[in-house]
Amino acid sequence: MGSIDGIVTGFQTAFSMEGILFVMIGVLVGTFIGMLPGLGPISAIAVMIPVTFGMDPTSALIMMAGVYYGAVFGGSTSSILLNAPGISGTVATAFDGYPMAQQGKAGKALAIAAIASFTGGTVSVIMLMLLAPALSSIAVSFGPPAYFALMVLGLTAISSLSEGSTIKALISAVVGFMVVTIGIDAQTGTQRFTFGNPNLLEGLDFLVIALGLFALAEVCTLVLNRKDTSVKNAHKIGSIKLSKKDLHEMKGPITRQSLLGFILGVLPGAGATIASFIAYISEKRLSKNPEEFGKGSIKGLAAPETANNAATSGAFVPLLSLGIPGSGTTAVLLGAFLVLGVQPGPLLMTDRPEIFWGIIASMYIGNIFLLILNLPLIPYIAKILKIPRPLLISLVIMFSMIGVYAISFNTFDLYMLLLFGVIGFLMRLFSFPAPPFILAFILGGMLEQSFRQSLTISNGSLSIFITNPISLMLLLLALLSFIIPLLRQLWLRKARKTN
Amino acid sequence: MRRHLFLTVLAIFLLFLGACSSGSDKETAGKKESTGDWKPEGPIEIVAPAGAGGGWDTTARMTAQVLNEEGMIKENIGVVNKSGGGGAVGWAYVAGFEGNPHKLFVSSPPIVLIPLNGQSEYGHEDFTPLSNLIADYAAFAVREDAKWDNLNELFEDMKKDPESITVVGASAPGSMDHIQFVQIAKAAGVDIKKIKYVSDQEGGALTQLLNGSVDVYSTGVAETVEQVKAGKIKVLGVTSEERLEGEVLEDFPTAIEQGIDETFINWRGFFGPADMDPAAVDFYEKKFKELSDSDAFAEIRDQFGWDEMYLNNEEYKQFLNEQKKDIKSLLDELGISAN
Repeated sequence: MGSIDGIVTGFQTAFSMEGILFVMIGVLVGTFIGMLPGLGPISAIAVMIPVTFGMDPTSALIMMAGVYYGAVFGGSTSSILLNAPGISGTVATAFDGYPMAQQGKAGKALAIAAIASFTGGTVSVIMLMLLAPALSSIAVSFGPPAYFALMVLGLTAISSLSEGSTIKALISAVVGFMVVTIGIDAQTGTQRFTFGNPNLLEGLDFLVIALGLFALAEVCTLVLNRKDTSVKNAHKIGSIKLSKKDLHEMKGPITRQSLLGFILGVLPGAGATIASFIAYISEKRLSKNPEEFGKGSIKGLAAPETANNAATSGAFVPLLSLGIPGSGTTAVLLGAFLVLGVQPGPLLMTDRPEIFWGIIASMYIGNIFLLILNLPLIPYIAKILKIPRPLLISLVIMFSMIGVYAISFNTFDLYMLLLFGVIGFLMRLFSFPAPPFILAFILGGMLEQSFRQSLTISNGSLSIFITNPISLMLLLLALLSFIIPLLRQLWLRKARKTN
Repeated sequence: MRRHLFLTVLAIFLLFLGACSSGSDKETAGKKESTGDWKPEGPIEIVAPAGAGGGWDTTARMTAQVLNEEGMIKENIGVVNKSGGGGAVGWAYVAGFEGNPHKLFVSSPPIVLIPLNGQSEYGHEDFTPLSNLIADYAAFAVREDAKWDNLNELFEDMKKDPESITVVGASAPGSMDHIQFVQIAKAAGVDIKKIKYVSDQEGGALTQLLNGSVDVYSTGVAETVEQVKAGKIKVLGVTSEERLEGEVLEDFPTAIEQGIDETFINWRGFFGPADMDPAAVDFYEKKFKELSDSDAFAEIRDQFGWDEMYLNNEEYKQFLNEQKKDIKSLLDELGISAN
């Protein structure tokens, strides 16, 4: 294989003084911007693009890649401490991370996230290095029917995310589906539910919904319960030390989700978000104590955190070897490549091996930096929670608004943020769970588009979902993941009766 | 997606301010050489009604850069991204500055297409066309191992069995990727109502072509080059009048040389708000002409593979009205016209 020479060149590039320096700068900037609520990898990359003007392309791209995975690494912080996910990939992190922080175990939660992120990131870089050339064919193997099936599989998570009433969870998901249809429909060009308002033509941004339903709704609840003594624990940070038992509990999810996350990350469009959700539900299904999930389960935190970082490295496969950006973030990253005169694509590996392999090799260093950067800082970062409650609440509101305003410098988005804050608060009052809403919002757009693309291609015949082998397999998996819990319940009931 | 653009713009703008502040005292001295009655009285804003990195954004940035660097316009020119609705959000923004000669925007065929689709209340008639600068073209690509070797073979099959062929593009039906294909197919005698078109706005259009989900990819010429070099796809035809210049590009046959007498130009030029002072229109017309003739801009055209296509205010207006008529009849035939 000629790529051995390339890999050697890559390591030489990455381990040069310059390489190490720029990886360090990249992950440092990325992780800090990622930690701020409302700001994620897209903002981090965008802020850094002008810095790269005039730089040597290899160093610049090593740095930009570092900014990207650094921001994903840091992104878990605001999810865990403040319930304010900055990117869709860390929504699932908040499910168990935030409850853990509220129980006074913020330090531990951050440590778990850091270790899970590190492992997920490193395992997937190894796979990226070994398999990148071969994987590019998998990345394009998913056609519209397969994407549809993948989204259906992702949606089965709704049943896992519903605490209490299943009906309420379903209602919440349906509303999420409805909200995502706002805007211009891609398949017909028709406006849907825009009420003639040009601000709605592009639909609502993920951040508006996520920060509204999670961060602002949380703030409202905190204000309402300010005299409640049960939240006293939330000021505690706790030890960051993990016991042997904790590590043992993390081992399973981290190993499995590193692999699964990477594979899903390779698929353009699926990426970190769906990887983190599927990681979460699959661990819940596999767990002996699924009832712990959503209440601060170690597995429930480790699984999505591993998966979203593994998926981030996976996303480099289609980007570098095909020139296809799999997500909004990698699209910006692609822009950064083009600005520097580097065209990612099938020829990058042979034409510019120092860039292709240099970026991949630099990710090893980057992940190690991230770990040694993040672990010692945890006690300081977690001190955020020691900020007096009124001040902290104001800061969360302020950062949420900055994050949303930065989407398009449009005050309309701020009103929408407030609206969804109120909706999120009402949903809590009447105990409608928010996660199914956000899940439907994230997956719904692609679900609908890929369904309709498939039907156009097949001239309206539904058989396309069964004749396509990938789609058939995923649909069967979805069916299984739907049926197994039902069967398990029946079986348990029966077992109880016979006792 | 949208969030990064504005941060980028902000960052670039700040750098820009820093770089330009030192040159401000020269400005007043240089104003005398202009012959028109009107001169900019402050910084000029060019709106790119889309995200960073796309065709509009690149055109706006390159234009602003050359105008400022070559000293054609001394006042700072800032590029602002207003994305949304395929341009509609940016147009609505500029429409609010009626008569303001310091707000320009860059545009291309969508300003004709999108109002016709009923997605924007503002069309080219609601603005002052200043000058057109460049032309870009569409390319129709298929997989390397596809059975078609030229456009005629493809169109013959589309006439015989329209259901068996799917075309993919990155924008909705009735917008550019769709219409450019329809226009050429119609000239070749294909029943355009039967063309199966899917849109993939998540950047997956190329993926769909490569994995065989669809058969034809309707896109811009530049987007095909890398994949053609790698031997993954072949370009059956481009929509320019004559063959393009440059490595790989020169191998793409035009539709015309295949006997299909039709072209599609992805023109790009600059507009201002309605009711602009005629003296200001005059000023910009001259500046854009100077820009178009400059070596610096010729270099940029080469770099991005654009053709020169200068039209002044009057020519531009006429050209746009003709475009609108042509496209309206296409949309009427397709049954997706809004009026």
